[in-house]
Amino acid sequence: MTIKRITFLQELLGLFGLQERVHLAWISSAEAQKFVEVVTAFTEKIKSLGPNPLPAYRDAPRAALAAAAH
Amino acid sequence: MKEQIKSWLEQGTVDVFLGYREVDHHPIPWCFTQEAIEEVDDLVVSPARYSLEKIATHMAAEDPDIRIGMLARDCNNRALNVLYVWNQLRPEQVVTVEANCCPSPLKEHADCSYLEPGTVGAYKKAVGIDNHLRLEAVEAYGPEEGRNRWMYEFQKCIKCYGCRNICPVCFCRECSLDHDDLVGTGPLLPDIPIFHLVRAVHMAGRCIDCGLCEDACPMDIPLRLLYQKVNRIAMDLFDYRTGTSGDQPPFSILGDRVTLEPKPIQPVTGAEA
Ligand code: SF4
Ligand code: SF4
Repeated sequence: MTIKRITFLQELLGLFGLQERVHLAWISSAEAQKFVEVVTAFTEKIKSLGPNPLPAYRDAPRAALAAAAH
Repeated sequence: MKEQIKSWLEQGTVDVFLGYREVDHHPIPWCFTQEAIEEVDDLVVSPARYSLEKIATHMAAEDPDIRIGMLARDCNNRALNVLYVWNQLRPEQVVTVEANCCPSPLKEHADCSYLEPGTVGAYKKAVGIDNHLRLEAVEAYGPEEGRNRWMYEFQKCIKCYGCRNICPVCFCRECSLDHDDLVGTGPLLPDIPIFHLVRAVHMAGRCIDCGLCEDACPMDIPLRLLYQKVNRIAMDLFDYRTGTSGDQPPFSILGDRVTLEPKPIQPVTGAEA
């Protein structure tokens, strides 16, 4: 179920170019090494992608609306 | 057709018949009954359409044994199929009279031209999304342009809930879109794109592409394309054709068997991965 939903979500976010910001991995509680590897790799990945571009869109029209109201 | 509906009502084949009645030259969704059987004479079949099956689910929620007759286009029939799969109606309690239908990717042949392209302004074409584009054309915008265009569309939303309220397959008692912790009910603008994506996600395996949401949307947001996208994913990933399949949708837990594998972390390619 999880993998269906995550795969689906990745596809959907592809519409906005955000699909790489979601990652799924199976890690058991005995696999500390794997946990470190995955989290490190994903953190680096996100860092290199830079900040999420969506908040800029949210704030832009709000600012415009606020300006228009004054 | 009118004679048949009358005889159904008279003989008790159905308790009510849902269709449209002409009132002051307007086709109005109407519930015909045996008590007012003469109203059937004013029944009209026209390009006008409404989610009659949604009214049917409300009736069945009040009276589970009610038998309902309904005027149904193809989209109504697809919605009925989804509602059967989700146990909102029982196939035994519904009889339909078929009416002409509208074009849709879920159905190859169509002989109704109701959804004739309206006029799309130059500005919307330049910065937003032309509602009449094919999904492939919208996907071809690529990540950054696609994001710009979708967000332009979403920021117009006035959160009227029209899209949800008209939708024949939106039947949940509690809606995520009303939930303060999920999308925030108060302020305008709504949380974008969350508001639209939450609805989109819930439409995967449910939306039957009737286009009523887009008709209802006062801001002309290309909602149908968005839900076509989620159903395209359901089709590509899970081979699920919403509205024509009698199977449980792909996100139901029962009988789950999956062949998917988690995707590896891809190295970043270029500026816009
Ligand atoms: S097209 Fe819109 S109104 Fe029709 S089923 Fe899909 S989401 Fe609901
Ligand atoms: S119908 Fe359009 S404007 Fe209204 S809530 Fe839905 S997307 Fe927003």
